[in-house]
Amino acid sequence: MSLTTTPRPPNPMRLQSLSERNESGLFQRRRLHANEPEGQNNTQVPDQLLAGIREMGPQPDINAGASVPGFPLTNGIGSDMSMGIGVCRRCGEGFGQHQQIVNSNGEVWHPQCFVCAQCFQPFPEGIFYEFEGRKYCEHDFHVLFAPCCGKCGEFVVGRVIKALNNSWHPDCFRCQLCAGPLADSGFVKNAGRALCRDCNAKEKARGLGKYVCHKCHSIIEEGHIKYKGEAFHPYHFNCNSCSIELNADAREVNGELYCLRCHDKMGIPICGACRRPIEERVVHALGKAWHVEHFVCAKCEKPFFGTRHYEKKGLAYCEIHYHQLFGNICFTCNSVISGDVFHAFNKAWHVNHFACSICDRKMSQKTKFFEFDLKPVCKFCYDKFPGELKKRLKKAYDEQNKK
Amino acid sequence: MSKLKKYVEESKNTKSPDLEIIDRGVSNLSDNPAFFELSHVTRLTLTHNKLTTIPAAITNLYNLEILNCFNNHIKELPQTISSLAKLKIINVGMNKLSALPRGFGAFPVLEVLDVTYNNLNENSLPANFFHLDSLRALYLGDNDFETIPPEIGKLKNLQILVLRENDLVAIPKEIGELQRLRELHIQGNRLTVLPPEIGNLDLVGSRQAFRGENNPWVTPIADQYQVGVSHVFDYIRTETYKFLYGRHMAADAPPPPKTADKSKKISRLG
Ligand SMILES: [Zn+2]
Ligand SMILES: [Zn+2]
Ligand SMILES: [Zn+2]
Ligand SMILES: [Zn+2]
Ligand SMILES: [Zn+2]
Ligand SMILES: [Zn+2]
Ligand SMILES: [Zn+2]
Ligand SMILES: [Zn+2]
Repeated sequence: MSLTTTPRPPNPMRLQSLSERNESGLFQRRRLHANEPEGQNNTQVPDQLLAGIREMGPQPDINAGASVPGFPLTNGIGSDMSMGIGVCRRCGEGFGQHQQIVNSNGEVWHPQCFVCAQCFQPFPEGIFYEFEGRKYCEHDFHVLFAPCCGKCGEFVVGRVIKALNNSWHPDCFRCQLCAGPLADSGFVKNAGRALCRDCNAKEKARGLGKYVCHKCHSIIEEGHIKYKGEAFHPYHFNCNSCSIELNADAREVNGELYCLRCHDKMGIPICGACRRPIEERVVHALGKAWHVEHFVCAKCEKPFFGTRHYEKKGLAYCEIHYHQLFGNICFTCNSVISGDVFHAFNKAWHVNHFACSICDRKMSQKTKFFEFDLKPVCKFCYDKFPGELKKRLKKAYDEQNKK
Repeated sequence: MSKLKKYVEESKNTKSPDLEIIDRGVSNLSDNPAFFELSHVTRLTLTHNKLTTIPAAITNLYNLEILNCFNNHIKELPQTISSLAKLKIINVGMNKLSALPRGFGAFPVLEVLDVTYNNLNENSLPANFFHLDSLRALYLGDNDFETIPPEIGKLKNLQILVLRENDLVAIPKEIGELQRLRELHIQGNRLTVLPPEIGNLDLVGSRQAFRGENNPWVTPIADQYQVGVSHVFDYIRTETYKFLYGRHMAADAPPPPKTADKSKKISRLG
């Protein structure tokens, strides 16, 4: 038996049915422990079988001698039962006249013989489980027959889900990605994980670098749109303004979808790099709008993030690359020099910003100036330097020029 | 006092953004309270005077972008100075500073700091000094630094670093993190080796400068320096050098002695 979802080209999915299990642990145990196969229906679905077993117990308290309504077994302890009652089912001895007799389903026991087939102890609170003609205390029944849940580690009594070589409580068997219940909906095995159909489709699409449509759950072969954070085939929607069927260029604005034409008419800025609308901070530069993170240096492609950028021939550069490529940022005002440039000491100045670094007085091409730490110093200021400094500077200058 | 008054009156009248008082023997600004009302001034140049202090009221000139006090007798800067929110260039070179005030690192847009020719060392810097990440040029030449704190690596925008003629015995490897650095002046110190991380920097080229002469370099570096700066950089990028550097550091030899006689520095006098 296998479940299939409604076939949906191009990728029909085959679901693994819950009942389509290879061999259950219980079934194996049952064969191991079965003394008398008695022509039982060995093909019975194990979880159904287990459910059936559970319905036999817990049994009512034997001392109470009561019976469960609708339950065919009758258990009871009677005294002064007739001598013709027979022998104890366990020890084969008869019963004395005033001995208590445990009576269960037409068979009788000495009270001390009515014990768990595994631990030989009386049943705590009279509760026992019966399986293949033997009676077990709750503890041993669980140990012997009830599987452990692969998730929570507790015994699974009742309906058991067998999947991925393990047993599970129905409520513990959930999609490993979205944690949605799988017990009734079926699951898909994906890389050793049990996933729901949706998650499996998403995983598969992710592997292919594609999206899964949130509406029809099939892979979007080309051109998805994002709507409320989910991916969709564009053709499931129409433009909120002109009602045309949407294509992948559609844009979401305040929770509504618009075709590109209507969107552009609404005046929402489109990023000059990625062509997508800018919902948050807009950078206006080079005559275009940009996502903050998409406005980048043309050389190193790092976003400016609000730091200064320099424009040249329709491109923007970070300071370091602008300087590297074009090299004319004024040392004094740190801005790009568009007019005449004054060059000295690996640096550039606006012509009217070139000044003595000591007294700030303007200097021209004709002014004589000295170098001090690769900065210009006018003669007036140089002359004011202490003698010991001038001596050191002169020595360094001479050494430099010896080379 | 009357000298200053003339400049104040003139500035008040012209509302010129530039105020230059150069070589006028001015020793005190506090004498003239009207001076601190000149809030239209964006550049104040007080080069070659006799100021012994900059009054805290300097912050009233809140439009200042450039403050130049080169060659005065300033021993101390006011703690308030870092609240000059528009200050981009400060030059307090050739003074008698032995420390920078607490909170100095709080300037929001400072680009150029020139404290050349003072009496500063690694203990003179306030704790927040390396918060000055807008700095593009730092001039510390002619001071008394023996080491540079590794936090120097936080000055991500630094393009120019001048450590000329201090007493440096080592350069922190964090200088290799200054991706924008294009001028490094470390001549005239007590340096024997360079951290291999400096090889990350691009200091060779027509727009770059590396000055390393007058240091007691280990022989292989001295030899490469003879042939040219590019050879020094090629060399410190080799595995051989990394190995030698590791061994040199492990040996932990005492640094070369101080040789420079600084007693004649005018920052020491008085
Ligand atoms: Zn469980
Ligand atoms: Zn799921
Ligand atoms: Zn769809
Ligand atoms: Zn439309
Ligand atoms: Zn974009
Ligand atoms: Zn760049
Ligand atoms: Zn300029
Ligand atoms: Zn000058």
